[in-house]
Amino acid sequence: MKLQGVQQTKWWGVVVFIVAILIFPMIVTQSFFITQATFAGIYAIIAIGLGLLMGYAGQISLGQAAFYGVGAYTTSILTATWGWSPWLSLPIALLVPALLAFFMGYTMSRLSGYYLAMATLALGIIVHGLLVEGKGITMGASGFYGIPQLTLFGMTINQGVPYYFLVWFFVLLVLILSLNIVHSRVGRALRSIHDSEIASSSMGVNTGRYKMQVFILSAVFAGLAGWLFAHMSYSISPSAFTFDASILFLAMVVLGGSGSVWGALIGALLIRMIGITVHTLGEQFTFITSDSEHVIYGLILILVVIFMPRGLFPTVVDWLKNTTIKRVEKKASVAVTPIKRSVSE
Amino acid sequence: MTLLQVESITKRFGGVVANSEVSFSVDEGQIVGLIGPNGAGKSTMFNMISSIFPPTEGSILFCGKKIDLLPSYKVAPLGISRTFQNLQVFKNMTVIENVMVGQHMRTKQNLSGVTSMLLGITRKERKVYEEAMDILRFFNLESLYDQKASSLSLGKLRLLEFARAYATEPKLLLLDEIAAGLNHSETSEMSELIKRVRESGVTILVVEHDMDLVMSICDKLVVLDQGMKIAEGTPKEIQANEAVIAAYLGAEIEEEVV
Repeated sequence: MKLQGVQQTKWWGVVVFIVAILIFPMIVTQSFFITQATFAGIYAIIAIGLGLLMGYAGQISLGQAAFYGVGAYTTSILTATWGWSPWLSLPIALLVPALLAFFMGYTMSRLSGYYLAMATLALGIIVHGLLVEGKGITMGASGFYGIPQLTLFGMTINQGVPYYFLVWFFVLLVLILSLNIVHSRVGRALRSIHDSEIASSSMGVNTGRYKMQVFILSAVFAGLAGWLFAHMSYSISPSAFTFDASILFLAMVVLGGSGSVWGALIGALLIRMIGITVHTLGEQFTFITSDSEHVIYGLILILVVIFMPRGLFPTVVDWLKNTTIKRVEKKASVAVTPIKRSVSE
Repeated sequence: MTLLQVESITKRFGGVVANSEVSFSVDEGQIVGLIGPNGAGKSTMFNMISSIFPPTEGSILFCGKKIDLLPSYKVAPLGISRTFQNLQVFKNMTVIENVMVGQHMRTKQNLSGVTSMLLGITRKERKVYEEAMDILRFFNLESLYDQKASSLSLGKLRLLEFARAYATEPKLLLLDEIAAGLNHSETSEMSELIKRVRESGVTILVVEHDMDLVMSICDKLVVLDQGMKIAEGTPKEIQANEAVIAAYLGAEIEEEVV
C-alpha cells in the first residue's frame, strides 16, 4: 500500500539486505571475515539505536558502550554464575539497560540541550569503573570467563557462520522495527520535534515523552548487542566497553548519517571495514599501528562534518535521485524540442 | 456559551509588563479579533492561551476549566490549536505529513501490537492519509501534497499552518497574523477560508494587523494598547471609539482621509 508523499518503509531495500546477508558467507569463506562481519552486525544494532536517538530525538549519547556493557555483563552473570539459560537471560539483558535509561531520562525529565550527552558520558565512565572494580561479581579487569554458548533445538550455535546468521537475524529484526517506527505516526511526531518543538507540542505531541522512549529504545538495542557479544565469546572484559567504544558508535552514525536507519547500518559496516583495512595494512607496514585507526576515524569525522553534515547515506541518495531526475528531464526535453520547433515553424 | 474566559491576566517579563489586568471572553461560534499597535501584548496573550508560557497573575478558563498552568501538549487535546506568526512549519516534511502531525493526537495506534510494528503500515494509517487529503482539499493545497514544506511560497505556508492547526479538530483556533505578508487576493482568499472554517463549527480568535480583514470577518474586537485593554465591541463600535482612534486607528484613518 503506497501512500504518495509520506515517508514509508521501502521493502525492496529490506529484500536486498536479506539477500546480501545470505550471499555474503557463500562468497567470503575465510573465518576471519565471517567473525568480522558478525562483529559488524553487533555494532550495527547499537548504531541503529544511536541513530534513532541522534536523528529523531536530536539527542547525543556519549555512553552507548555502557548500555552495551551492562547488557553483556547482565547475561554473563545470570548464565555463568547463576546457571540460567541464555534465552531466559535475554529479556533481563534488555530490561536492565532500559531501566538505567529510564532513570537517567526521568531525572532529566525534559532531555534538552547537551545534558544527556554529559550525563551519558559520566554513565559510561561509572559503568566501566564498576566493571573493573566490582571484582567479586565481574571478575575485574582481567575479564569474565566461562560464558555458555547459545543452543537452539539442542544444537550449539558456534562462532562462525551459525553465529553470523544469528546476529544478522537480530540486525534484520532491529532494522525492520526501526524503519516501521520512524515511518509510523510516532516517527512523524519525532521528525516534527526536530523541525519545530514548539509547533509539535501545540499539535498535542508530548515531546519529552517521545524523546525518552527513543532513548530507552537505543539502550535496549545496545543491551541486545551486549547479549549477542557475550554469548559469542567465552570471555568478556571491561576493555570492550570503554569511552573509545562509545565514540566509535558515534562515528558510525555520523559517517552513515543520523536521521536515517539505513545510514547508521551502513556507517557501522564502513567503520568496521576501515578498522580491518588498517589492521591488515599494519601487519605489512610497521609504521601503521593500531593508533592509526583512531587517527583515521578522527579524520573521517572532521571531513564528514565539513563536507556532508547529513552523513554519507542521505547525501548519496539525494545525489542519485537528482541525477536520475535530471537525466529523465533531459530525455523529455530532447523528445519535446523537435515538436516545438515544428509548431513554431 | 462562553468558550474562552480570560480573567484579569497580567504578564511580566522581569520589569517589562507585557499584559496588565486584561479580561475578555470568546463565545462559541464567534470570530473575535485581538488588535492593537505593535508591542500591545497581543502575541504574549496568544502564547498564554496556548500555554507556551504561564501568566504571572490571573487565570484562563477554557470550557470552564483552568488551563493556564498546563503544558502546551495538554492544551491541544482540550481543543485549542494555533498558527504561528513567525511560521513554525515542519519544513523537512511534506505538505501532507505536516497535516498528519496535526492529526497526531486523534489517531492513536496500538503501539503495543508487535505485529503492526513489524508489518508496518496499518489500515488506520491509510484512513489518516485520506482524511489529511480532505483537509488539504478544503484549504486548496491538494496539488502540493507531496512537496516538501520548505519549497512552498509564503502564502502557501500560511495556508499549511492553518490546515495543520485545523487538522487537530479544535474547538478554538488561534490565528496569529495569518495574513501577514500576503497580497490582496491571497488575503481575501484567507478571509473566505476563515469564514468557512467558522461555519464548520470552529470558534476563532485572530491577532491581525490587516484592518480590512479584521473589520470584515470579526463579530467582536478586543483592543489592546501598551498591555492594557482599552476597548471591546463590534467592529462598528470600535471604529467609532475615541480611545481606540487616539491610540491606534487615528493615524491610519487620517492617512486614509488624506
